Amino acid sequence: MTRILRVGIGGPVGSGKSMLIERVVPFLAKKNYRVCIISNDVISKEDADRIRKNLATEQGLLPENMVIGLATGGCPHTAVREDPSINLAVIEEIEVKHKDLDLIIIESGGDNVTTTFSPALADYSIYIVDVSGGDKYPRKGGLGIETSDLLVINKIDLAPSVDADLNIMERDAKIVRKNKPYVLVNCKTDTGVEQVAEHIIHDVLFDQPPKTMMSQVKS
Amino acid sequence: MNTDLSDLTLMQLSDSFFPSGLYTMSNGLETLFDEKHVSSESDVYDFLEVVLEQQLGPADSVALSNSFEFAKDGNISGILECDDILYSMKLVEESRSATCRAGSQMLKCIMQICSNELLKSFSEKISTNRTPGTHPVVAGVCSFVMGLKKQQATQMMMYGFCVSVTGAALRLGMIDHIQSQRILHKIKPIIQKILEKYSDAKIHSSWQFSPNYDLTQMTHEKKFSKMFIT
Repeated sequence: MTRILRVGIGGPVGSGKSMLIERVVPFLAKKNYRVCIISNDVISKEDADRIRKNLATEQGLLPENMVIGLATGGCPHTAVREDPSINLAVIEEIEVKHKDLDLIIIESGGDNVTTTFSPALADYSIYIVDVSGGDKYPRKGGLGIETSDLLVINKIDLAPSVDADLNIMERDAKIVRKNKPYVLVNCKTDTGVEQVAEHIIHDVLFDQPPKTMMSQVKS
Repeated sequence: MNTDLSDLTLMQLSDSFFPSGLYTMSNGLETLFDEKHVSSESDVYDFLEVVLEQQLGPADSVALSNSFEFAKDGNISGILECDDILYSMKLVEESRSATCRAGSQMLKCIMQICSNELLKSFSEKISTNRTPGTHPVVAGVCSFVMGLKKQQATQMMMYGFCVSVTGAALRLGMIDHIQSQRILHKIKPIIQKILEKYSDAKIHSSWQFSPNYDLTQMTHEKKFSKMFIT
């Protein structure tokens, strides 16, 4: 069975996980990477339905069946950490049917700052927070903020409105993450989004061309 | 030293820490709750009793105990027959896919901790779509391979279902943590009585009949807002 590389995206409720996916995937699609999205919803299919409508139905960037919503029994952290078996079962079904995919993005249900992804589930994790919780967030740490491969600080346009100092957030992110990367993002305007896509292409896909292009070269 | 580790293995496999994904399933309870058919401790207990008597006892526990026996005999054809028959009795699409996903993940986990030719053969049949890999049948085979007694295996499956449902009831806000334990304590003799009734049943005599429950599960499939897979 072909193992497809996987990126996990975690973060609190309303931090912009789904929106980040909706903005990053077009950059990946522009470079011909084929992506599947598994959205772990806490209480509804709304995120999966919205992502499907936007990326598949309206933009045609991926087939509609490549956006999958999963219910997690009210335990979003369990579904990606202690017991990722339902996610793994779905991924294995995808890996059998869609060998030419380049990447699977797993969106965790909205949770708290301690969310991490099981290493059996995700090869790379992105943790996203937004400025509206205040500029204390990176400083307070939590496993998601500290140990993720990439920290995304979203909604930077709102910083002045909520008295959040982006310089403090950047300074603290560097300290608690011991200089692991972070990106300041505004998903509404795509500020910083291409950087997130580049991190995925470089750190997860190792700058390999899309599988479909590789197969064309071989044939 | 006593080398019978079956009690400890029972704890390992029945622990909610064991990765089976059962916490994502309410087994129809979420819809019953939303539609105000179930709202109290006694309602949850009654729901459990009906499902155990009409579905898990005569169908799932029989498939599990028969597959356990077939595993003991190394009879892969018998195991596949149990799997096929049980799968044919799962009338709800959500439940069919959930039981197969839980089954395949349990098998994968056990194969990582216990090398066994029968498990490899069964797994190969599942991965090549020659058998569905329902959770009770996988549990029967894995329980034998892991050294459980048959009675322990059937108790584990029935009790695990009750934990899954009471856990869902707790997370839906219907009951509290003490009420959930009271339900589990009270349901134990029912589990035992049902298991004794079907202890010698053969797979060809298995049955299930709970149309109301099936219809409830089918409406769950179409719900927009839900916490649980089933």
